[in-house]
Amino acid sequence: MVDFDQDKVAPEKQPASERPLPEKAKRMPGMYIRERVLIACAVLLIALFGFTAFIARQYHHRIHQYADQWFARGEAAMNEGQTSAAINDYRNALVYKPEDPTFQFHLAQALARAGQEVQARTYLTNLLSEDPSSGPINLTLARIAVSEKNNLDAVRYYHSAIYGVWETDPLQQRWEVRSELCEYLLNHGNVQEAEPDLIALAQEVPMRDVGREKTAGNLLLRAGLWSRALSEFRAVLDTDRRDPDALAGAGRASFQLGDYVEAVNYLNRLPRDKRDNPDQAQMLQIAQQAQTMNALRPGLRISEQARRAENALSVAKMRIAACDKQRRETLTGAAGAAPDELQKLYAVMQQNNKAWTFPGLSTHPDQIPSAMSFAFQAESAATKLCGPPRSEADKALSLIASKHPGQAGE
Amino acid sequence: MTPQPSSTDLPPAGAESLFERVRSAWQAWIQRIFGEREDQLFLFLAVLIGIFGGLAVVCFRVAIDWVQFVLLGSSLYPGWPRVVIVPAVAGLGIAALVIWVFPRSRGSGVNQTKAAVYVSNGYIPFDTVIGKFVVCALAIGSGQSLGPEDPSLQMGAGIASKIGRYLKLSQSKIRLIAPVGAAAGLAAAFNAPLASTLFVIEEVIGTWSAGVLGAIVLSAVSSAITMRYFMGAESLFRVPYVQPAHPVEFLGYAVLGVVGGGVSLLFTKWIAYARPRIQALPRWTHFLLPAIAGLIVGVIGIWFPQVLGAGYSIIDQALHGEFAWRLLLVLAVMKLVATGVSFLSGTPGGMFAPTLFIGAMLGGGIGAIEHHFFPSITTSVGMFALVGMGTLFGGFLRVPITSVFMVIELSGSYTAALPVMVSSLIAYLISRHYQEVALFDMLTRQEGLILPSIEERREQEAFLVEDAMRAEGAFVVRPNEPLADLAKKAEAQKELPMLLRVRMGEWRLLDGEDLQRLANDGTTPHTASEVKSKGPLPLLFPDESIEEAMRWLGDWPVIPVVSRADLGQLEGALTFPDVLKAVRKAKAE
Repeated sequence: MVDFDQDKVAPEKQPASERPLPEKAKRMPGMYIRERVLIACAVLLIALFGFTAFIARQYHHRIHQYADQWFARGEAAMNEGQTSAAINDYRNALVYKPEDPTFQFHLAQALARAGQEVQARTYLTNLLSEDPSSGPINLTLARIAVSEKNNLDAVRYYHSAIYGVWETDPLQQRWEVRSELCEYLLNHGNVQEAEPDLIALAQEVPMRDVGREKTAGNLLLRAGLWSRALSEFRAVLDTDRRDPDALAGAGRASFQLGDYVEAVNYLNRLPRDKRDNPDQAQMLQIAQQAQTMNALRPGLRISEQARRAENALSVAKMRIAACDKQRRETLTGAAGAAPDELQKLYAVMQQNNKAWTFPGLSTHPDQIPSAMSFAFQAESAATKLCGPPRSEADKALSLIASKHPGQAGE
Repeated sequence: MTPQPSSTDLPPAGAESLFERVRSAWQAWIQRIFGEREDQLFLFLAVLIGIFGGLAVVCFRVAIDWVQFVLLGSSLYPGWPRVVIVPAVAGLGIAALVIWVFPRSRGSGVNQTKAAVYVSNGYIPFDTVIGKFVVCALAIGSGQSLGPEDPSLQMGAGIASKIGRYLKLSQSKIRLIAPVGAAAGLAAAFNAPLASTLFVIEEVIGTWSAGVLGAIVLSAVSSAITMRYFMGAESLFRVPYVQPAHPVEFLGYAVLGVVGGGVSLLFTKWIAYARPRIQALPRWTHFLLPAIAGLIVGVIGIWFPQVLGAGYSIIDQALHGEFAWRLLLVLAVMKLVATGVSFLSGTPGGMFAPTLFIGAMLGGGIGAIEHHFFPSITTSVGMFALVGMGTLFGGFLRVPITSVFMVIELSGSYTAALPVMVSSLIAYLISRHYQEVALFDMLTRQEGLILPSIEERREQEAFLVEDAMRAEGAFVVRPNEPLADLAKKAEAQKELPMLLRVRMGEWRLLDGEDLQRLANDGTTPHTASEVKSKGPLPLLFPDESIEEAMRWLGDWPVIPVVSRADLGQLEGALTFPDVLKAVRKAKAE
């Protein structure tokens, strides 16, 4: 048995055959010894090279097998929603193919899905340094930035993804990413920042693609780009006249544009279940009310204008009275005290009490704009003093006022 | 009658001459390469050794992975029964192999190679190569916490030694050929030829020898190319994009350096304390030690399978910031324990990979903590892990230059150079201050050998000519100086030699007796140029080493020390007694 103490490093005894030749002896005979040894080395090298090539080939074959097996397991786990198992499988796959960008990307996606954003970002940043124009990598980084509430990076990565390279169906992918970006910006109230992308999004909708037209229309509605939204919904309605989403969207857009006739028209065409939706129902009511009160709509007969103006004035009077009651003040005002806005308006109303009736307005149609202006000012003053309007009629009147800013300020 | 050969029996004239020409060219080449100058052969051999070393390491790496697939499976996280049983049972086999079959395969391989260079004239028996291959493949493949780099280094050195002996090289070349092979082995294992070259110079040779540097570089490069040909050009781990650090963030790297230095010190002290005690245990226990170590590593592996084996893929994950700081620090501690236990048990295997592992975890952990407290830090956790690898390399293995270049080579970027310089240097200084002898030197000294250390040489104060020369040690004589005046001066300063400045850069030593003789000759006036003199004298400069001066002092009683800017300006003179006096004085101080 070998003593362990002998394992210590000690001077090795060299066999006599392997001892170096003296200087003289190795001049010429040594040359031939060396030649033979070197030829033997060359032969051995070739044999060892062949052997190594063989085992390296087998090794790589095995390694690739393992990599693909683990990756397939990872994909299966991911599809089953088992993210943490998928992460382990992808990591195992990466042990055998560490440079594979697909494996790295899938691992990063799994990590991001598991909430391990920091780790995912490291992989993705690395991948991005190799392929800065990759659409999918930029998109995943954008989503990570969104989850980390990093607005600046999110927008930057979204834009890089939009202008990046997509291997399959690039137009559709870019449109989807832009839509996601718009959604993100609108969710965070960055309407102004979203506008250029929303406009581009609407322009890039393929013809007759109802789904995307509706998506674009809804996003435009959320951004307050009413006329563009209306165009999108109209395009949908050209394809399918009864599409409820398009009807609702078009109704809302028309309503916001002040086209109450169109709004009522669209909203009335909604199926009953959609129309009963509280939002739609309220909008319909307001639109209908606004229709009965908007004396300023061009093309109306004088009698109709007078009737609508009288209607609006009566709503305004009721609003003033209600506000007065709410404030527990007298509209005539206390003696010696300066009258407030509502009291002044009340005084104007008392002065024009006779002129601002249906017969008076029918006889003197030139008074109609003044009457409507008074009604708008009354609504505005009441809103200032008593809060926003509650009744549909008041809301309708405020809405008409907002569409006629010149009249409201008189 | 002699039959005349027909024209068909004769070889064609053109073919014969071509054959002869090829043959004579071959012989001339052989004569030139192998017959005349051994230096040329040595460089050729360096390439050959590099290829052999590369092939051996490819096979070694495949063997390790193959053993791992068979014993532990292909998953990073094998089931717990395997994790506990495999390293322990394999440990029994390892002990049997080491004790009965390959006793020379023990240890990491670095200090054994160095000992072979300095003690055995570069002789490494070939069974060491086979033993290292077989036993280390079993040990690392079965999960013992050791790495393949140091064994690869020794295998490369062993192959080189064998080739050198077969070729009957001179003794001096045989001694140098082992480091050439060591560089080949390490470069292939590490896939980093530059760092490997520096490591061999820093740790194995222990000195910057120009004679062997070219051969080491050649073998490291050819070995790395061979490795890449078979295994691909990828480095051992994928280093993420390295971003430049803000100057303030260097404080973070300094903290890493301090912690890394502390951990390095702790690890070294532990091994220094425990190794002699474990080696002193009764002989029968040595059969069980690798198995016990395997069991401990296996038990750790139930909860932290990351510590099993070399752990390159785990380092890769740490570089990508995949672990939280708690896990990173726990892994650093667990790997330290597992590696210490594996190494102390006598299981053959290297310390490189575990050092990198511990460094990466420690760096990542500290980086993550710093991120937690200072979220504005822009440097990624992966970057800290990368710098941590260099830090522990510098602190534990005590190779600061290699550590910097290793990080640069692995990351493929100079951006990491500054952080790792800061961190590694701090770790190195701490380790150096509290642990006088570096790890590999300490292991060698525990075995009763004292080998030269570049670290000690680096810190030795240079003994220069200016430390020994006498500023007023001679007086200068011009060639046209009248002898009457000169004789008076010589009489006044009898003890001083007279140096004749013939022209710029040419100095001669005047013969005093001849001078007196000529001076006493009252018939004709003489000048100094007529006096007998010795020379021209060799010249020394004040900043030259005493070793350089000693080469000349045997032949000349005095040597002029002149200014580098003006060879005609005497700065002083140096004599052998001056040197002795200065040496005695330096020793006394």
